[in-house]
Amino acid sequence: MTTRTVRRWRQGGWIVLLLAPALIILVGFVTLPLLAALRYAFYAFDGLAPAGFVGLANFQTILFEAPYAAWTMRALGHNAIVFVCLMLFQNGLAYLLAFALLKTLPGHRLHQVIVFLPVVLSAVIVGFLWKLMLHPLFGVINAALGLIGIAPHPWLGDENTALGAIILTNAWHWLGFPALIFLAGMQRIGAETLEAARLDGAGDWVLLRRIIWPLVAPATTIVFTLTFIGSFNWFELPYVMAGLTGSPGGTTDVLGLYAYRLAFGSATAGLQDFGRGSAMAVLMFVFLAVVSAVALKFLRRREMEI
Amino acid sequence: MFAKTTRRLLLAATATFGMAMSFAAQAGEVTFWTWRQEDKAVYTDLFAAFTKSHPGITVKFEAFPNENYNTIVSTALAGGKGADVLHVRAYGGLEAMAKAGYLVPLDPAKVPELKNLPADALASETLRADGKIYAVSLAGQTVGILINKDLFASAGVAVPTNWADFLAAGKALKAKGITPIANGTATPWMDAVFHSAFTNPFLGPQFVTDVLAGKANFEDKRYVDALGHLLELRDMLPAGFTGVDYPTAQQLFSTGRAAMFVGGSFEIGPFRRANPKLNLDFIAPPAPAAGQPTHVSRWFDSGFAVNAKSTHSEDAMALVRWLATPEFAIPAAEKLGNISSLSNAANPDPLLGKVAELNKTAMPYIMLVHFRYESPTGSDLLQDGVQKMMAGTMTPAEVGKMVTDGIAKYYVPFQKK
Amino acid sequence: MPERLKNSAIQLLLAINAIIMLFPLGLMLLSSFKSNAEIFDSPFALPPTLDFSNLLRVWHDTEFLQYLGNSLIVTGASVLAILVTSTLAAYALARYRFPFNNAIFLFFLAGLMVPLKLAVIPLFIELDTLHLLDTRLGLILVYVAMGLPSGVFILTGFLRSLPGEMEESARIEGASEARILWQIMLPLARPALVIAAIQNAVPIWNDFFFPLIFIATDSRKTLPQGLTVFMGEYNTDWGVLFAGLTLAALPITIVYIALSRHFIAGMTAGAVK
Repeated sequence: MTTRTVRRWRQGGWIVLLLAPALIILVGFVTLPLLAALRYAFYAFDGLAPAGFVGLANFQTILFEAPYAAWTMRALGHNAIVFVCLMLFQNGLAYLLAFALLKTLPGHRLHQVIVFLPVVLSAVIVGFLWKLMLHPLFGVINAALGLIGIAPHPWLGDENTALGAIILTNAWHWLGFPALIFLAGMQRIGAETLEAARLDGAGDWVLLRRIIWPLVAPATTIVFTLTFIGSFNWFELPYVMAGLTGSPGGTTDVLGLYAYRLAFGSATAGLQDFGRGSAMAVLMFVFLAVVSAVALKFLRRREMEI
Repeated sequence: MFAKTTRRLLLAATATFGMAMSFAAQAGEVTFWTWRQEDKAVYTDLFAAFTKSHPGITVKFEAFPNENYNTIVSTALAGGKGADVLHVRAYGGLEAMAKAGYLVPLDPAKVPELKNLPADALASETLRADGKIYAVSLAGQTVGILINKDLFASAGVAVPTNWADFLAAGKALKAKGITPIANGTATPWMDAVFHSAFTNPFLGPQFVTDVLAGKANFEDKRYVDALGHLLELRDMLPAGFTGVDYPTAQQLFSTGRAAMFVGGSFEIGPFRRANPKLNLDFIAPPAPAAGQPTHVSRWFDSGFAVNAKSTHSEDAMALVRWLATPEFAIPAAEKLGNISSLSNAANPDPLLGKVAELNKTAMPYIMLVHFRYESPTGSDLLQDGVQKMMAGTMTPAEVGKMVTDGIAKYYVPFQKK
Repeated sequence: MPERLKNSAIQLLLAINAIIMLFPLGLMLLSSFKSNAEIFDSPFALPPTLDFSNLLRVWHDTEFLQYLGNSLIVTGASVLAILVTSTLAAYALARYRFPFNNAIFLFFLAGLMVPLKLAVIPLFIELDTLHLLDTRLGLILVYVAMGLPSGVFILTGFLRSLPGEMEESARIEGASEARILWQIMLPLARPALVIAAIQNAVPIWNDFFFPLIFIATDSRKTLPQGLTVFMGEYNTDWGVLFAGLTLAALPITIVYIALSRHFIAGMTAGAVK
């Protein structure tokens, strides 16, 4: 054996050693149980036990049969709204906030700590807190609006405002995360580049759009991907604020709630059906995986080009 | 090789963290699971009495959050675990577990206590496919209206018994600054309760008979008209009622801000605990017109069953048999403030005695009793529909059609040719 | 002059943002000292007296310290294990070319998207087979498996963007691969490690779903699990609810504030080079 092949083999062993612990745990405690659960998607359930293989019938039911098809599309539509709104408001604001923090004005460190503070709280705490604040009768939001003469409104009870209220709560909760990722990305650009652009007469707006935006592309990739996955797996915040059925009248129903409801039912209305619930989970996973893979490929290429 | 090493590592690590024993009870100890967290003290007391009469058997009480109970129990049962004795749901919820073979059928020869239960209570815990009984029914629940007598008196309003008076009473209370009805529509299952309370007197028992005989569905004019009456009540609900959830409604009523609470007899106990000074009464919903009959709605709400995988099945069975005796049922009904399913365990409480009296002309809480066996359940469809109808985004006719179409998926008489 | 004006405007906006961020938290803290009537009638007012009864109720009615200890063990061990395993994997994926590199990366990425709640039944059976049901270790392993993908995703992205010169020169000088990882790459990866740590610590600390299903023994319950059960009994007493929320949020908030200097510096300063 030449020293070269020896070295190659040693490097191969090293790589295996690096990957093994993570892969073993991931396969053992995510992949295997998940495959076992996904098998359920192809079975009819009679009560809690599988009653026989039915091929794609569960998929057919949730995608094409009333009333399930309409419920599925409604939930998917809400997820899409959540994603777009979070990208625009939460992440857009985070981008501007990162730029403001980049200026290292007095107190910027304190602001960094503050903006990230809500991120460390759980969705249950945040959801509960905002639910109480948005309360139609006793909530402080209505009390504050009352001071400037705006009539109280049941924010979470109105079909037109419920989803928006939960999205804004999510933005409040998570704003710090994309902000700091963008800030980390901006700080890597280096003062010289920014100085040079300034000397060329670029104002803040031009700087943000022409210089910084392309250079924070890796940060954007991370933020986009995590927001996308987070939006389409959204569960805890709407669960706490709107309940398992996406109250009122299903206007806050999203795929995560819907799949859980199909699988485990609810104490006060629905029955459990692991078959349909698992089929919904399979669809969600395939959708997320395909879109993320395509988006990632595109975003990576964009990073390279820039 | 990997598997072996992993396993060894896992075992070593497990040893350091301490092995688990708790999913299996110790000898002579029967575990009991329920979602009734708030009843812990009552059950602990009563189980102590059980140990006194059954020396050598103790009961370990574990309560879980109601909204996660289904998930926890079905996961544990699928894994061959779970408590020896389980608090289970009735009707479709019971069937889901029984069909999977997770529960021990109760043989009337070996559980003679079953004769303490009336036929409709037994039916609520029976698997229709094999006709066997799988659980001992705990309590019957009645939907009606809880009222704060003091608020009515101070406003000088008489307690209404028919629809026209009811609407007038609402106006009179509101004029005095009192919210007539505490309920909101934000909690879906409460919408079903609200709906059943007011529609059943308009519908009458004949409608239920017709639906079950396949002669009528929920697009029937009687049903759509009854739904329409619910809309007349919107002025009586709190401001912003679409955002008022169950705990808020309870709060409004127990603190004396609202005069009426539309709900089940199971609310009596909690309201008395929340505000002992509350001058409570439980009345039937208003009759359609003076002189016409009215009806409360009724169902049996839960029961006790033995886990088929129990490692203490004899002790577990002894506990379930005891749960079907007046020895448990009378003090339990008194302390929990409900009406026992047992025919020989009357509640000495005068208010609950009144509820038991109203039960004599009760109608079934129809979606739970008859249309929660298959998906989409009648409850799923109705709760969504009523919530939207009260918010003004669906009409009564549209709700009736949605419910009928959904149930038609498995209920042949509703299927259109 | 216009520059100064602009900076003042930015300062003002930052201040408004800080108020929006802090106000709900302050409200939560204040309300935990109030009675129901005080919360309803004067939501913004300071509590008339420093009444600890709500907080004491939470403290006495739950095994608070026990739950807190369990949460610390479970979260600490999980995050540590996630950082170690995902750094190793991310390093391999980011710095070496080998067959199936991209496929393995996508496999990890797929782990980010799985709805693991719906696999709870097979997971339960598996833990039972391994005798890990109702143990903290079982819970930790599940959390590590759940957190790994995001760790690998963040760290791979970061490690990939690091320049290769230092690594190459070390290699030429004959440093071992392990040494390059430990002494050269790891210090550079600190910001990403901090992000991955927080990103995972928060959901693990706060999760109540898996403990509810996997942990039955009271002495092994986690804080959110214990408080979820407790708060179910008090859903109309807002003062107690706010007290419960405050106590649930307090430990992680204190840890965050205590470490915030390191955290923020770690997360952003890596760029200063």
